[in-house]
Amino acid sequence: MMVVRGFRHLLVFMTVLLLLTSQAAAEESVCLQCHGGLEGRLGAPVAEWRTSIHAENGISCHDCHGGDPTDFAMAMSPERGFLGVPEYEAVPEFCGRCHIGVKEDYLLSAHGQAINQGGAQCVVCHDNHKVKKASPDLINHQDCSRCHEYGRADEIKAAVSDTDRMLAGLEIDLGILAKQGIAVKKMEGATFSLRNDFHRVFHTVDVDKVRSETSNFQQRGSEIQQQIDAVHDELSQRKLIGGVVAGLLFLASIIAFLIRNTYQKEEDAKR
Amino acid sequence: MLKRLYAFFEVRLGINDILEQNLTKYLLPRNVNIWYTLGAVLLTLFVLQFVTGILLLVYYVTDPVEAYQSVERIMNEIPYGWLIRYLHAVGSNVIVIALLLHMLSVLFMGSYKKPRELTWVSGFILFNLAFALCLTGYLLPWSQLSFWATTVATEAAGAVPVIGDALVRFLRGGAMVGDATLGRFFALHVMVLPAGLAALIGFHLFCVRRIGISRPPFGDGYRPAEVKGYFEHEAHPGGIPFFPNYAIKDVAVISFFLGALVLLVFFAPGLFIPPSAFEPADPFTTPEHIKPEWYFLWAYQTLKIFPSEFLGLMAQGAIMTVLALLPFLDRGSERRPVRRPIFVTCYLLGIMLFVAISIWGHYS
Repeated sequence: MMVVRGFRHLLVFMTVLLLLTSQAAAEESVCLQCHGGLEGRLGAPVAEWRTSIHAENGISCHDCHGGDPTDFAMAMSPERGFLGVPEYEAVPEFCGRCHIGVKEDYLLSAHGQAINQGGAQCVVCHDNHKVKKASPDLINHQDCSRCHEYGRADEIKAAVSDTDRMLAGLEIDLGILAKQGIAVKKMEGATFSLRNDFHRVFHTVDVDKVRSETSNFQQRGSEIQQQIDAVHDELSQRKLIGGVVAGLLFLASIIAFLIRNTYQKEEDAKR
Repeated sequence: MLKRLYAFFEVRLGINDILEQNLTKYLLPRNVNIWYTLGAVLLTLFVLQFVTGILLLVYYVTDPVEAYQSVERIMNEIPYGWLIRYLHAVGSNVIVIALLLHMLSVLFMGSYKKPRELTWVSGFILFNLAFALCLTGYLLPWSQLSFWATTVATEAAGAVPVIGDALVRFLRGGAMVGDATLGRFFALHVMVLPAGLAALIGFHLFCVRRIGISRPPFGDGYRPAEVKGYFEHEAHPGGIPFFPNYAIKDVAVISFFLGALVLLVFFAPGLFIPPSAFEPADPFTTPEHIKPEWYFLWAYQTLKIFPSEFLGLMAQGAIMTVLALLPFLDRGSERRPVRRPIFVTCYLLGIMLFVAISIWGHYS
């Protein structure tokens, strides 16, 4: 019980400490504390956000909407940079502050060109508060057919799927290596960069462009895969050497026991 | 040349005599068993810790900002750095296993009894020093695991009435685990504790050698030795020479332990080094399931079982005090387990309790 109480004290202290810092962690922001207790459209975003890729990566309310996440009174003050909810047409600029490359690619697309006529923008596909992780699954018959025929979207999906699968595979492999103490930061950086570049390509919804770039992505991905394979080779080699050394030590142990047995027989014979 | 050098020292130090007295003419009981090798196993493992620890020191940086990076560098850039670190980290767990086996065998055979009280007490302090080394070494990589495990471990001291908070601050060097904690844990881990450990190992071995190896309390011919009111070395005339007859058994068991250590290092280091050991410490993100190392789980769970942490600490203190003073409490000369049913029952129940509470602590 006291351990639990000790932990609670510690967590409270941490909370206060975090609130006092400018980089307040997502869980501790006053936005979440206040809106989390509200009902209806003012409270719903909190629950939605908690399931989002943004929450997973520590991107909180104030990172998009601005304001001061450490001060209840001034949290939504324009003086502290509060932006509020963007207009429909302003959403690409809103999201594009971080997703710069994707925004540029998107603005070239039919979606982006038609934004003032109700063309699809970021949240139409990715959702707003429960922002979904970018994945080919976002391109599907049900969602795309809300606005237009699915045919072209299906072609895009087919064109991006291989590269996306490759990227997902790299990320899983790197995660496993990281848990074994292997320094994977460089490879993770290269994979992250590759994924970013990949995301910059298909928002124009230009199948030919995606296909022409795919070989480049595959090449970069295979280079990372080669580095991962080299690490796996070394790990296998280590195991082989370790197995031999352990085997030799166990053999030495058996031989020593056998020698001891001969001494034992001599000792028994002397009795 | 070598012969002349040897002769030089022989004339002045009497090396042959020393070797004879401690190797070929040093006689052990004829029925000495395999459990007596654990001392040699522990000595070997401590030497391994010492050597790998010094090698790690060459590249380790004692600074919260750089400690994790330096360990990452050791693991990934320094030739065989990963091997040295794993031998050190996994080796510490193997030492704890060997220490427990050594202590349990001494308890079972009643070897702690008069006139070997000092051997037992010095061994028991060594046992605790080894745990202190494990605890202080755990923090040094400054990983998420080490940071939070140390936070939990030092937090427990806060349960001591009146001085609890001051004690926590003293252990940490501040309110929170931070650079002051790392500094003092480092000093303890690489200097104070190893020096104390080396001195006590010396004293422990001196006691063993001076009073003589205890005879295993088994077999028809065994009778409890009569302990006189004056010093008497327990000799074993007609016994087996330590070298080569028994030393080869030491070699066999040491090789076995080293083989097991190598297997763990190369095939299953994750048993003792979980994934959170490979994340840098983040004081602002508390991991979901913070658990101490397996050998501290019993203590961790004991604190949770009692209605207050203080009572839990008292219980732990009582157990450790009884163990430390056991030779002074259990004063009978009988060492044969079959003739000590109450002790053996307590012994078995104690082991089962330790295992059960540890498992409970793991899953709680």
